[in-house]
Amino acid sequence: MSIEVGKLLDHRNGIQKKRIFWDEELYRLEMERIFARSWLFLTHESEIPKPGDFFCTYMGEDAVIVTRTRSGEIRAYLNTCTHRGNQLCQAEAGNTRSFTCSYHGWSFDLEGKLAAVPLEADAYHNLLDKDRLGLPRVPKVESFGGFIFGCFDPDAPSLRDYLGEMAWYLETFTARAGVELLGPPLKSVLHCNWKVPTENFICDSYHVGWTHAAALKVMGGPLAAMSGNTQAPPGIGIQVSTRHGHGFGVIWEAASALHRQPDYEEFLRAKQPEVAALLGEMRGKLYRAHWDAGIFPNCSFLYGTNIWKMWHPRGPHECEVWSWTLVEKDMPADLKRKIQKEALRTFGTAGTFESDDGVNMHGCTYTNAGPHARRGEMVSVMGIDHDSTHPELPGFVNDANYSEIAMRGFYRFYAELAEARDWNEIIARTHTVARNGGNSNGAPQTATPRP
Amino acid sequence: MASPVGLELFHQIEQFYFREARLFNEKRYREWLESMVDREVYYWLPIFEERYRADRKPPPEFPPAIYDDNYKDLEERIERFETNLIWMEDPPSRIRHLITNLEVYHAANADELETFSNFLVCRNRREHEQTLMIGGREDRLRRHPDGWRLLRRKINVPQRVIMDTNLYYFI
Ligand code: FES
Ligand SMILES: [Fe+2]
Repeated sequence: MSIEVGKLLDHRNGIQKKRIFWDEELYRLEMERIFARSWLFLTHESEIPKPGDFFCTYMGEDAVIVTRTRSGEIRAYLNTCTHRGNQLCQAEAGNTRSFTCSYHGWSFDLEGKLAAVPLEADAYHNLLDKDRLGLPRVPKVESFGGFIFGCFDPDAPSLRDYLGEMAWYLETFTARAGVELLGPPLKSVLHCNWKVPTENFICDSYHVGWTHAAALKVMGGPLAAMSGNTQAPPGIGIQVSTRHGHGFGVIWEAASALHRQPDYEEFLRAKQPEVAALLGEMRGKLYRAHWDAGIFPNCSFLYGTNIWKMWHPRGPHECEVWSWTLVEKDMPADLKRKIQKEALRTFGTAGTFESDDGVNMHGCTYTNAGPHARRGEMVSVMGIDHDSTHPELPGFVNDANYSEIAMRGFYRFYAELAEARDWNEIIARTHTVARNGGNSNGAPQTATPRP
Repeated sequence: MASPVGLELFHQIEQFYFREARLFNEKRYREWLESMVDREVYYWLPIFEERYRADRKPPPEFPPAIYDDNYKDLEERIERFETNLIWMEDPPSRIRHLITNLEVYHAANADELETFSNFLVCRNRREHEQTLMIGGREDRLRRHPDGWRLLRRKINVPQRVIMDTNLYYFI
């Protein structure tokens, strides 16, 4: 490899070279080393509930079809015909018995088998070995809390181990009644490198008061004082970085802060004791907190505001954002509807918050067109001397509202994954907090067994 | 099909839309809301899904929308502009609306009209950022003592993947 990723990123000192948002060569390496090795979010089981349901998405830049087979198994295939390589499925979702190619009409069943070839006797003298021409399967497809992920690397750990400590946190909202995503997703183009919004969602509570000053001011309520940074947010928050580059920031007791009607808050208060009984007091508390979060590499969400996002890379300087609404299964239909309205109103394509972010992300990417700018560095040093562990919380925790700990964790794992020979090399390693010592070995030790 | 309105009323409605476009272009949103919009307005920009024609999967129970706004929602969006704290609007962007293909019909209710129109919106920002959006609107207007007001608007944007960073502007 001609790029030495380790030279672009220094997580101990919280430094990244600016060219990570621009370089074509690095982008190609990311496709091979990051996107081909990570578990990537595909869709939620609630989007494909019945046999024959399918959903088309991307893993990096590879188009894939996610489908539920006749027996109810979830599988993913590369969305490319094995004859001459045409894009096989051209609808984004639906229900079908088979996928038929628009070029010469080859037809594949839900199990990915080549089922029918037009004029098979005349054209192929019945000698075509159809068994060898099935759709290429994504080798690993697994779910956690109904969220379906796929991974191209057969040697990767299980999804549960990949999520690791993050799975312990995700259970806060997945374990009680279960969740679903309300789709289809909103989709729009952002003129920025995919890592810019990703690092924003994973830890950037710092930009909220400034970038979103207008929306906060109009909204009123407990967070309005954050507008223009006249005041730090009420109550205190924490920032968490977990093994494998995941992370999130928390504002306690603020889950429903962006919802203008009281019924979501009432629902959370009513269900909190159930969560606490099931998962303990700490996760009961997290259940009523607002989180901005990232699942490595390119899936983000806001728990509380309840928006779920994928940033699909489209070359080094562009990405496509897909946004769903996250709701709990046992919410009344009327509450689901209201949560969807508020989630899309704030973080949809015309979102009162989302609309502020795009231009900054554009700016963070395009200033690097200049070779002198590109040679420069960016800092993610916020709170670096306060990174630590926590007696009750897995992963590394920075006990403050503002910290870039999860951004440091993201780039630490990014470099590891880009440089490692394979997953075994990564699994063998132990991790220490950047400066203060303290250990975290990832999931197996800290994740709580499922109830 | 409902019957088309006469020339004079058609002209009135055409002027209504040209004025609305001018208020948008001049970013006089508050004036638009207070003088051209009914209190019971529903302003809607739904998204759609690319499905095969023969597809049998039922439509979503909770269809997502980019705009799902009542009067208060619109007003809060306008208040956001009025804070002058939107950094992407400082320096301000430029916007221009072209309204075409107008059809105006009498509605079943004598105090209401149904209209169809197409739009072309051009947004320009900073040095090089320019986006064009072309689409259609299906409106219902209601008669008020001082003129017509917008009661319902459904905006049809043909892009499945919105080719602009956001759609935070009125159409
Ligand atoms: S390319 Fe698909 S059938 Fe020929
Ligand atoms: Fe933001």
